[in-house]
Amino acid sequence: MPIYFIDTNNDDTFVEDDQGQDLPDAEAAREAALAALPDMARDKLPDGDHRTFCASVRDQTGVVIYEASLTLVGTWKAGGSAP
Amino acid sequence: MMALPDRSGRHPFVRKVESIALTPITRDERAALLALPMQVAQFDAAQDIVREGDRPSRCFALLEGFACASKTSQAGKRQVMAYYVAGDIPDLQSLHLRVLDNSVSTVSPCRVGFVQHEALRTLFRAHPGLVEAFWRSTLIDAAVVREGMLNIGRREAYARMAHLFCELVTRLDAVGLVLDRTCELPMTQSELADALGITPVHVNRTLRDLKAAELVTLSGRRLSVLDWDGLKTAAEFDPAYLHLARFDRA
Repeated sequence: MPIYFIDTNNDDTFVEDDQGQDLPDAEAAREAALAALPDMARDKLPDGDHRTFCASVRDQTGVVIYEASLTLVGTWKAGGSAP
Repeated sequence: MMALPDRSGRHPFVRKVESIALTPITRDERAALLALPMQVAQFDAAQDIVREGDRPSRCFALLEGFACASKTSQAGKRQVMAYYVAGDIPDLQSLHLRVLDNSVSTVSPCRVGFVQHEALRTLFRAHPGLVEAFWRSTLIDAAVVREGMLNIGRREAYARMAHLFCELVTRLDAVGLVLDRTCELPMTQSELADALGITPVHVNRTLRDLKAAELVTLSGRRLSVLDWDGLKTAAEFDPAYLHLARFDRA
């Protein structure tokens, strides 16, 4: 099976995947990248109203073949208590 | 061989029973444990020792290596419920529960000692004191799963992983398999993901955070604890649920 590397960023920390994962194909690597985003979000929330979580897939040759991001935007509305 | 040598030279299985028995085991009981007829078998890594749905007529003691109990959802997602280390008897419940409701698989190459149920019944009839120790063992296994449920249900990944490390180090230490705050940690990141309920990618991130905080180092499938108090604090780790005799007897 080919190895894919999934790098991630939560606005605070960029982590380069130094291990890689054996995955059947690029679609499986895409799914692995997408699945990581809610994990990262769960660990960071609640923490402010603006944050972007990113995951990208590199193939064995180092080419980025897929990139995904999950964005949190929270906004106070009229009647709410602004910090 | 994967496991570090048992410093005392004692049978890991006897060592384990001693570590949890509330009443120190007698010489006769120790001799009976050592004389228990055991069929020893070697397994490679990532093999099933027993499978969910099996109806075993024997139990096994893990003599060397790491194993885990797991169940898998219909979608093929695996959850590891517990890890086992040398001395543990992962399917002791099969003595009373006829059908196994989880699989036990090797994580690293394992040496395993199979003991016929009948031989255990004979042992227990002759040594009622050992019944209490083995009963405690199954109750402690349940306590480990309860703690695991809190861990993966309610703690963040960082604390979860720290907690798993604290637990493994404490349990391995109880059977003499921690030297210089270092022990085997043969799981791959993907296997850790199955135990912690997070993705392998997040395991990689979380490990990196624990290393950056200088709590642990991991190299060559060995875990070294750099800051035990810091790791315990990060994990909210209180070893009470492991009911080791040295804590419970007090």
